[in-house]
Amino acid sequence: MKPIHAHYDVVIVGAGLAGCATARALVQADPHATRRILLVDRHPGVQPRFSGEWIHPRGAAVLDALGFCEPLRKAGAVDVDGFAAFENADAAYVDLAYAEIEGERPRGLSVHHKVLVRTIRGELAREGRVEMIEGVAAAELRRDNTGRFCGIMLEASDGTTFEVACDLVIAADGKGSTVRKLAQIPDARETIGFTAGVEVRNATLPAPNYAHVMLGGWGPVLAYPIHREPDGTIITRISFDLPRELPVKGEAIKQYLLRAFVPFIPSPLSEQVAAAILARKGPLEMAPTVELPAPTAVLPGLALVGDAAGCSHPITASGMTMGLRDAETLGEQARRRADAPAGEPWLDDEALRRYRVEHDRYVPTRQALASAIYEAFRGETEGARAIRRALFDYWQSGPTARRRSMALLSCAERRPSVFLSEYLRTAGHALNVSLIPKHAAHYPVADRVRHARGAAKLARDKLGLVANVVWAQLRPSWMSSSPAPMANRGRIAVGFGRAAGLAPVTQHVATLAPPAGATAADVVAVAQ
Amino acid sequence: MLHAVPPAKPTPTASRGGRIAHRDTAVERALVQLDGALAPWRERVRTAAADGASLRRPESRWLVEIPDVGPTCEVLLADRLLFDLQPGEREAMLAWVRASQDDSGAWLDVHARPDLSLTALAYWALAQAGDHRGSEPMLKAVRVVHALGGAQRANFEVRLWLAMAGLIEWTWLPAIPSELFLLPPQVPMSPARFSPWARGVLTPYLLIARAPARLHLADVSELLLRRQGETLVAPRLTRPGLAGDLLQAFDRGVKLSRKLPRGPLPQLAQRHALRWLDALQQDHGGWFSTRPTLLSLIALRVMGARTDDPRIRRGLDYLRRARGRVPSPGTDAIHVAQGSGAQPLAITAPLLATGLEDRDIAPLLRAQLQDPGPWQSRADAPAGGWPTEPGARSHLDLDATLGALGALSTLPPEHPAAAPAWAASRRATAVMLAMQEGSGAFARFERGEADVFLQRLPWTDADLLAYGRPDDAVHVRLTAAVLQRLAATGLRTEDDRVQRGIDFLARTVGCGSDDVPLPTACAVAGAAGALLPEDHPLRRGLERRIRARQREDGSFGSLHDTTIALGALVDLGHACVQAQRAARHLLGAIDRDAEAFVRGRATHDGGPGLSPDTLDPTSAARHGAAALRRYAALAAQVTDLRS
Repeated sequence: MKPIHAHYDVVIVGAGLAGCATARALVQADPHATRRILLVDRHPGVQPRFSGEWIHPRGAAVLDALGFCEPLRKAGAVDVDGFAAFENADAAYVDLAYAEIEGERPRGLSVHHKVLVRTIRGELAREGRVEMIEGVAAAELRRDNTGRFCGIMLEASDGTTFEVACDLVIAADGKGSTVRKLAQIPDARETIGFTAGVEVRNATLPAPNYAHVMLGGWGPVLAYPIHREPDGTIITRISFDLPRELPVKGEAIKQYLLRAFVPFIPSPLSEQVAAAILARKGPLEMAPTVELPAPTAVLPGLALVGDAAGCSHPITASGMTMGLRDAETLGEQARRRADAPAGEPWLDDEALRRYRVEHDRYVPTRQALASAIYEAFRGETEGARAIRRALFDYWQSGPTARRRSMALLSCAERRPSVFLSEYLRTAGHALNVSLIPKHAAHYPVADRVRHARGAAKLARDKLGLVANVVWAQLRPSWMSSSPAPMANRGRIAVGFGRAAGLAPVTQHVATLAPPAGATAADVVAVAQ
Repeated sequence: MLHAVPPAKPTPTASRGGRIAHRDTAVERALVQLDGALAPWRERVRTAAADGASLRRPESRWLVEIPDVGPTCEVLLADRLLFDLQPGEREAMLAWVRASQDDSGAWLDVHARPDLSLTALAYWALAQAGDHRGSEPMLKAVRVVHALGGAQRANFEVRLWLAMAGLIEWTWLPAIPSELFLLPPQVPMSPARFSPWARGVLTPYLLIARAPARLHLADVSELLLRRQGETLVAPRLTRPGLAGDLLQAFDRGVKLSRKLPRGPLPQLAQRHALRWLDALQQDHGGWFSTRPTLLSLIALRVMGARTDDPRIRRGLDYLRRARGRVPSPGTDAIHVAQGSGAQPLAITAPLLATGLEDRDIAPLLRAQLQDPGPWQSRADAPAGGWPTEPGARSHLDLDATLGALGALSTLPPEHPAAAPAWAASRRATAVMLAMQEGSGAFARFERGEADVFLQRLPWTDADLLAYGRPDDAVHVRLTAAVLQRLAATGLRTEDDRVQRGIDFLARTVGCGSDDVPLPTACAVAGAAGALLPEDHPLRRGLERRIRARQREDGSFGSLHDTTIALGALVDLGHACVQAQRAARHLLGAIDRDAEAFVRGRATHDGGPGLSPDTLDPTSAARHGAAALRRYAALAAQVTDLRS
């Protein structure tokens, strides 16, 4: 299947949640239906690997606005009420309910990822405003002589290629984004572990319609409903956080899960999970967990959305919500430019800059929280364990504490004052729980001091992170510069050189004006 | 053929831990043979668990907890006050004491060394029973006691008996100011900081010494060494040196001060100690183990309790349960001996794990700690883990906890009892982690058990206050075993607690020293294999040391040592030639006589107090089965071994 048109206003690479939501947001921002939008994805169907499935109320509100919520519910999505956090399997859980967050939608949405993608793609196809091609991947990017991205070469699975021109390429192709690589946007992506998942039918969850975070084992175990079948059967996703250096491989991972994780799940869920693991034929579903500090989200003619624009450990389940917020923000910018005159890009550099300013405000908060909570929940150091105990101690101190934390965790709150005050309160509780043991009647002073020092060290180490988040919120928008062209131009030359009918690479490079910000060395490198 | 395979077709077993199939391999035949040797022992454990205090049936008790003749002799002596032993029981116990005497006239400890205290106690028990003192064995025993310095140089327990019998002055025993018992637990000198065994012994001692108790026992003053045949040679209570002299002077001062009016403090301390006794009697009726129980019963009697007092009766029942039939050394006769505990979980649980059955699970789960205990004084964890023996509701034992966890880990996930077993395991894991000392080592009974403040004083009996030393072999092996268990639950060296444990092992075992005993090196190898990369210096050093101990015939010494060494090589990930040779040696030995694996004298170290080692005859069979199974799984060497 080939694109119908030679030129599109927007080409979106990646037809997952972020890509489809962005497409729908752009469609809604084009009331006159004059814009051409192309949506492509490398997988002919849905992505085989399991992925994000939990959407906070903030994201569900976006889905509502995009008109996806109802179809998803009909397809089996489950309305969800919040988080149930277990410090250990024998303790009562902490109820972190969405309903307690003021001014926020009271429920989120959880949906099987494959159902999600299939449904929203179906919705887009039914609407017919977005041209969608499955089974093609981005092969090369095109830039014009100002350095702005102006086209993309797509490659089908059979090797055939076709090229389209466009005003904007949106990369929604996930944490390992091909487009990001083609655009040579540097990133500090790091695989921090793996997530293994199993599905349990009619699991006995202590708090139905909640995401359960269960601690005590090597890493956190998550359990949340993802699908309601027509007969009322609920499918629950159980995900296990595994270390980067897996102690075993292949089929032995099942035994590893049974030994190292399942005992730390409350009964009777633990028996159901064990049965599901044992009943699973073939290997478990697994996906790497990646820490991707937010790279530059926009370049002239290019925008990154969703996981392509930064992702963190899924412990806060905020990846999908962030993707939806990206879609929403881009949609807002597109709406502002709905009446842009012909000959001008729909989303020009200024619109992209505004998207970036907004994006750069909420992404650091999300990443800082996910990183800190993941470290605390794994509890490999004195400080991390102190923070973990402190978090539970803090949450148990009253509904206000739970509400404020939940607002931050669910991406509903981003005020720096709230973030800072939560940090200070948690640090205070960490010192408190370090100095006052829970069970020991005569705890040695040396142990108390060691715990307190660990907590203080971790709190100190996180100061930079906190400052970064606070600054991201306080930074004046004018300090975010306009999208800058990239330093390395090699891809430009190759891209143009391989384009059918174009002049040889070196000749073409010679005709290019050096993009703004490019150094003489870049040009030399390209020419060579 | 490397060895002869018995022609009989192997008997399949339904045991869960064994999982032995019908495959015709040498290893699996050997496993069947070992399982056949272990099965009767497992049955003994089950019978003992189900059977109350009966001694009617032979073999009704399992006897691995029998340490030496010491507790038996003390029970015989204490019967002058407790009036509990039946004539047949007494005779059977005396028969065992007589049968245990060495040709030299001495009674030996479990390491087969002549022991002054044991010899003195055994002689006394026999003399009390009316044995002719002019007989050759009795004369030999007296000569041994004299050769070793006289009964006054025996341990604290013997001197206490001598004092109670009026044969020596009470001043020959260390003075413990009764006011210590009034100190709050957080004060370093408080008895709450003693090891649990020491607390269990010294609390009744305070009451006995304050009374003071007086028992009408046979006069064995011939055991005391006299200067020129007249004056008794007084024992020195402190170690030589200035500090010792000062302490001796302090000791005399305390004893003199007892003659002065001291107000209400001694009475208060006495009442406090009595309350402590009442509070710490366990569900099984005893106080921690046999010796604290015996002294507590004597203390209660001294304080006026009658023999029909419920506390006394329960205590006596506990002692009876901890008594069992034991084969006489060198003969086929079966006698009765007093054990140091009724059913040590550290030994019984791993034995049951070799063939865990459904009926074993409920008692095991019931035995776990449900209530807070004194071990939580310095360990920040909720109640969990297992005590030394079932029914000890407030005494944690990490060794027993490891044994129970090992047994429960053999349960398949689909078993109906898997969930309660998991719940017990996670509580036990939290407890284990809370028992880590600042040094990185793990404590067995209570944190700080090996580092008691008063132990630093130059007392001759000071070591009794603590449980071993912070870096002794017992704590090294325990730490290694805990780390191995934590590794099985997914913890890695990224966790600072695990890393501190590894650092402790590296400090104590070292990477270059060759003088580490083989059992210690093998235990540490288990932890190193589970947690450390192959090129880690500690792991490489252990591997080198273990390899260097192998003999030409493939063994590493005794059968027990060979089994643990093979297990260690497998834990280190090696199915190498040396491991293969060790495996072949074991297969040959099993083929010749599998029963030899349950007849050995492998000791289970770490018993508390005056009998630090107990026998675990099944240890070689258990370790052998586990090592061979892991070896076969690791290297798929079964086929090679057959050819």
